[in-house]
Amino acid sequence: MRVLLVEDEERLAENVAAALREGPGYAVDCAADGRVGTELAAQRCYDLIVLDLMLPLLDGHGVLRKVRASGDRTPVLVLTAKAERASIIAMLNAGADDYLTKPFDLGELIARAKALIRRGKGVADAAIRVGSIAMNTLEQTVLRSGRVVELSPMEYRILEYLMHRPRAVVSKRELLEHLYDYNWEHHSNVIEAHVSNLRRKLDAESDVASIQTLRGRGYRLMPADGAGCEVGL
Amino acid sequence: MRRAYSIKRRLIASVLLVELLSAVCVTGLAFFYERHAHMRAFEVMLRGRAYALLGAVQDAEDEADNVMLDGTEKALPSRDIYQVWDEKGRMLGRSANWDGREPGWLAGGRAADERQPARLRVDGEGYRVIRVEGVRIVDPGDKNGGVRRAVTIFYGSPTRAVWRAVWGAVEFYAETSLGLLVVTGLMMYWLLGRGLAPLGELARQAAGVSAQSWEFVPSDAVRGTMELAPLAGALEMVLAGLERSFEQQRRFVGDAAHELKTGVAVVKSSLQLLAMKQRTAAEYAAGLERCQLDCERMEEIVAKMLLLARIEAAVEDEGKSADLDAVVRQVGEALESMAAMARVRIEIVSSGGMEVGVGAEQLEVLCSNLMVNAVQHSGEGATVRVVVERVLDAVELRVVDEGEGIEAEVLPYVFDRFYRSDPSRSRRTGGTGLGLAIVKAIVERAGGSVAIESEVGRGTTVVVRLKALRAVEGFV
Repeated sequence: MRVLLVEDEERLAENVAAALREGPGYAVDCAADGRVGTELAAQRCYDLIVLDLMLPLLDGHGVLRKVRASGDRTPVLVLTAKAERASIIAMLNAGADDYLTKPFDLGELIARAKALIRRGKGVADAAIRVGSIAMNTLEQTVLRSGRVVELSPMEYRILEYLMHRPRAVVSKRELLEHLYDYNWEHHSNVIEAHVSNLRRKLDAESDVASIQTLRGRGYRLMPADGAGCEVGL
Repeated sequence: MRRAYSIKRRLIASVLLVELLSAVCVTGLAFFYERHAHMRAFEVMLRGRAYALLGAVQDAEDEADNVMLDGTEKALPSRDIYQVWDEKGRMLGRSANWDGREPGWLAGGRAADERQPARLRVDGEGYRVIRVEGVRIVDPGDKNGGVRRAVTIFYGSPTRAVWRAVWGAVEFYAETSLGLLVVTGLMMYWLLGRGLAPLGELARQAAGVSAQSWEFVPSDAVRGTMELAPLAGALEMVLAGLERSFEQQRRFVGDAAHELKTGVAVVKSSLQLLAMKQRTAAEYAAGLERCQLDCERMEEIVAKMLLLARIEAAVEDEGKSADLDAVVRQVGEALESMAAMARVRIEIVSSGGMEVGVGAEQLEVLCSNLMVNAVQHSGEGATVRVVVERVLDAVELRVVDEGEGIEAEVLPYVFDRFYRSDPSRSRRTGGTGLGLAIVKAIVERAGGSVAIESEVGRGTTVVVRLKALRAVEGFV
């Protein structure tokens, strides 16, 4: 998952970004003002936007309006020092999905970020199940048919993204965009290597492939077991 | 509880008092006028009756050609009194109700003015008596035209009826005046109630103003009232000013809260981040150091906010003064190492005797804020020029840098509190957004002025003007 953090207070941005990277293992891009924030958001490669309200050049409301006006449905979590009801109402009405007032708790921020990302992908529960694969996003554990699968952070992130979008074709490019921030040099063969490792670990004791490769199009996570396998290969 | 002062009651009381006074005057004047008029009429009547009495004096038909009363005098009103005397001092006749004594003022020969009536009491009743000199000619048909007999008549009549008429008239005036007084009181109560209605309306509208709703729109009735229009206007102006300063204050509190909350959020998140997972000792040490820096930044913000509040409260710098030249040089020295690190040269052009009415401590804050800004915004190899000079009766401090300059659109806001024209830059240099606000507060407190001009790419000049305490020496 990839998060856009628009926050002008440098130290706070550093801390929040570090927490999102270290906690749920998200890729995080930071923008220090509203204009850069809007430009980055326009790339549409984010699963969540964390937005401060008081921003230079273009304030949080302005960013929110531009993002929503462009038809972007990315969940937006607003950070604000203003706990006034009117401001919160205006913010939610402008298209924000949730808010946190400063000073906030990093744990709460991470939990809300996770919940918003889940909701943004049509999932409600923190424990996601696709066929025989079960993922607990809180504990960051993965089970295949009740058996624990040990994954590297990157493999986990790829699977997490695919689990949030079961049956959908996810291109390598999309994976790259949503799993890495701008500070990474990324190449599609890195993804290929990770997916290959992931598939090997997941399918170690199963004869049904969990992640399908659609040549030239990308990957697809299928409910691999039993009736869920109607697509076939 | 003391009764509240009422304009209405006071006005009514004043008007009624004036009216009462005039009523008393009118009544008094009426008394004198009526008395005069009635007495004149009365005297004319007396005179008429006296002449009627003179008509009753006839030839006595004796050898001495005396005169006598012929009896027709009996037809005169019975309550009147009279005496008729001849020139030899004989009484020719008198009314029954008057004794035979000659009135003293006549007998005494005091040359009393016969026109002046005399007051007299007869049988306990007040009379007014006049004296009429008359001549009766006996045997006018004789040679020499007969004998002239001078007769003196005293005639009086009771004045009770006259007084009754006078008092009647006075009573009428008094009663009418009192009636008018009552009518006026009632009319005023009603009219003032109506007339003062806009005042009550104004009070109601003013009472509706609060810190939440500053709206104050005087009604047309209030605006259209000549006496109230200035008051309403003044109220409007005062309220507008209050609203502005209240809004400013609220914004400051909001901004301050934002800054502090952000500061707390930074510290809190730094600590939470550190506690998120097991870390190495080096990581903990680095994290704690960052927390320390975060705390120091917050401390700085709080200190500056307090300084700003203290300057605005203006309690400590009253009557203090310092030499701007000395302070500028001192700050320049203190900034030397910082400037050297940034490879910026500080050039000070100043001479002594630049006393201004700001305490040394605040003057130092002012100079250091401006000079640090200039150094921080200058590129390597640039020069910051600090010029202190006399301009007429003011001391002018100019801080000129060759930095990147400030865009014209943000220039008007740089003195606002917590305003940061470029956050990434000022965060990097640890700006709090209060430096220039503090400069402005210090300068304005001392009655001076501060201005800024800037051109992007060329640099920025801040000009502070403070009133000089000492006159220019050697100037004629």
